[in-house]
Amino acid sequence: MIEVDNLSAERSGQPVLRDVSLSVAPGAVTVLVGPSGGGKSTLLRCLTGLAEFSAGSVLIAGHRLDAGPQPVATLQAVRRDVGMVFQQFNLFPHLTALDNVMLAPRVVLGLLPVAARRRATDLLARVGLEEHAGKHPSQLSGGQQQRVAIARALAMQPKVMLFDEPTSSLDPAMTGEVLAVVAELARSGQTMVIVTHDHGFARRAATEVVQLAAGRVVARGAAGELL
Amino acid sequence: MSAVAWWKMSTGLALAVAACAGGAVAAELDEVRRRGELVWAADQEGGGPHVFPAPDDPRRLNGFEVELAGMIAERLGVKARFQQGAWDRLPLLLGGVADCVINGIESTPVRRRDYGCSRPYFAYALQIVARRDGALVTPEMLVAPGPRGPWQVGVLSASAAETEMRGRDPAAVFVRSFEGTLDSLEQVRGGVLDAAVLDDCIFTFYADRFPELRMVGRPFNGGVYTVLTARDTPALGAAIDEALGTLVADGSLEALYDRWDLGGRQQMLLIRDSADVAPAAVPEFRELLRRVVPTLLQGAAMTILLAVVSFPLAIVVGLVVAICRQYGPRWLDRTLSVYVEILRGTPLMLQLYAIFFLLPRVPLIGVQLPPLVSAVLGLALNYSAYESEIYRAGLKAVPLGQFEAALALGMSRLQALRHVVVPQAARIALPPVTSDFIAMFKDTSVCSVITVMELTKRYNILSLTTGRFFELAAVTAILYLMMSWPLALWVRRLERRLEPPGTGPAG
Repeated sequence: MIEVDNLSAERSGQPVLRDVSLSVAPGAVTVLVGPSGGGKSTLLRCLTGLAEFSAGSVLIAGHRLDAGPQPVATLQAVRRDVGMVFQQFNLFPHLTALDNVMLAPRVVLGLLPVAARRRATDLLARVGLEEHAGKHPSQLSGGQQQRVAIARALAMQPKVMLFDEPTSSLDPAMTGEVLAVVAELARSGQTMVIVTHDHGFARRAATEVVQLAAGRVVARGAAGELL
Repeated sequence: MSAVAWWKMSTGLALAVAACAGGAVAAELDEVRRRGELVWAADQEGGGPHVFPAPDDPRRLNGFEVELAGMIAERLGVKARFQQGAWDRLPLLLGGVADCVINGIESTPVRRRDYGCSRPYFAYALQIVARRDGALVTPEMLVAPGPRGPWQVGVLSASAAETEMRGRDPAAVFVRSFEGTLDSLEQVRGGVLDAAVLDDCIFTFYADRFPELRMVGRPFNGGVYTVLTARDTPALGAAIDEALGTLVADGSLEALYDRWDLGGRQQMLLIRDSADVAPAAVPEFRELLRRVVPTLLQGAAMTILLAVVSFPLAIVVGLVVAICRQYGPRWLDRTLSVYVEILRGTPLMLQLYAIFFLLPRVPLIGVQLPPLVSAVLGLALNYSAYESEIYRAGLKAVPLGQFEAALALGMSRLQALRHVVVPQAARIALPPVTSDFIAMFKDTSVCSVITVMELTKRYNILSLTTGRFFELAAVTAILYLMMSWPLALWVRRLERRLEPPGTGPAG
């Protein structure tokens, strides 16, 4: 599902990724761990075209990204098939939870309001928030917001889901409720790449753990052996 | 208190007041003598032959009235000092800033009621001027519509010509008022107006500059110019009047007019034989309101029209400019920043003037836009610069993560802007944008320089023809408040509705 081949990336002249290669099979859950500034988030952003890279290539969900600026059409095609969940949730504050989830299917996929609403309602139920559909993000707890963000990404029915430290800004109780949703996704066979510091979660959910430090892959293997 | 006692007391009071005022009056004349200066007000923009900057040295003033002021001051034993003012507002300078006004002020019933008016010093009549190849050939044609509807006629704002023309059938004559005398002649030359109506001596003076124009018929509706003084300075008024009398008697006024080629002998006969104008009666306030309110409401409707049409245009253009600057290539940002700085850095009045008066003279692309279109265009462009800066601040205030989250969902940049970034920026921009909307209601008053008859212009004309500056200013202010106040209330409601629940009042 994902083939990263000798990827290198720079930010303001400084190398942040060096010759990173990675392979994720369909249905697999790959967890990226490592110290802060090790390049985990950059790698994730390269996978969905939010960051450019200077060398190497990415094959993801049937699309190919190369070094340098990529055509807009390619980027949009990739992003339609790759969902992203951010550390800071980035929910749209002017829309209700339901509208947050409905927006992309309506705008990008051209779904009719009725169909988009049904899909969004189902997804909010799946993350346990059907009661909160009419609320704005400011009225939800951090954990609830992150679950809405997951539902929002799932609404595009992505082939791959990327999580960038999804629980780092949450307290332990909320972390639990978000990870329960992620674990449920893993069981359902969703291909995922997750950046996290939570080794306990990595052990439980990961098919493979990849450790990055100073922009290089320094270790990889099953969660049990590595952590 | 009995009626008789009351009458005695109030009479006594009135006499005491009159005595005090009399003392003040004499003091006023003494003050002029002590100061050694007679301050006379005029508008050099009004032009020749009255008062105008000397062609070879614009700092020096020329004109027969400049010389006349000098001669009157000399008779009073003082020097003359010139005070510049806008022509239609010159009388308001009396009392505080200027001692008298000497600037082609026509003697009218309202002025004789509200000011001290000297004996006449000059006789004028109105002259119709049109293009040689124009449709207007005789003065009689102005009583019925022309070939293209009502005749478009330009006049000087607040002049006798304006009063005369506005008294005619609106189906036959559509009047446009200008702040400068030469503006209407330029518009006739350019073919925008069918005719201009102005004091005969002005066209005689400038005829060589406008060879394309001809006088239509003979001068008509004659009247006289008077020196204005404040009502409460009768001693000064009498001294000026007496000075004029000696200037007539010793032949120096006739000599002055001969020097200026204004026909001294005929002028002397005309002012000798001019009939006194009776002062107008003071209208009762109710009667005044009944007369002016419909006209003021017409002006208010124009003000609303200008703001309601211009502002949405300004919003759209401003939004496009802001988005292009924020998300477009660098060269576009640079180009548009020049656009914004030019529009913000020059006065709205100058921009309107350029669109209406100067644009038609630009070779190849020159086009004469109608006054209303020019006004809307000018307001919209000017405000678009301010709006674009507000939106830019709004766009910057939306976290980058919002844009990225939208892109990560597969939206195009345009979709991300439209559905995610702009709605949030709009909420941030709403309070400053609406305060700009209210500001625009007031800025529409500038459009009178390009002859649009909005509320302030209507007020100007009415206050001058009725002499009731204070009452009408109050009525006009109330009309402006009736427009902006409900708007402010509506905006407050809108802000509350758009605010996502659970957030603070700042949104």
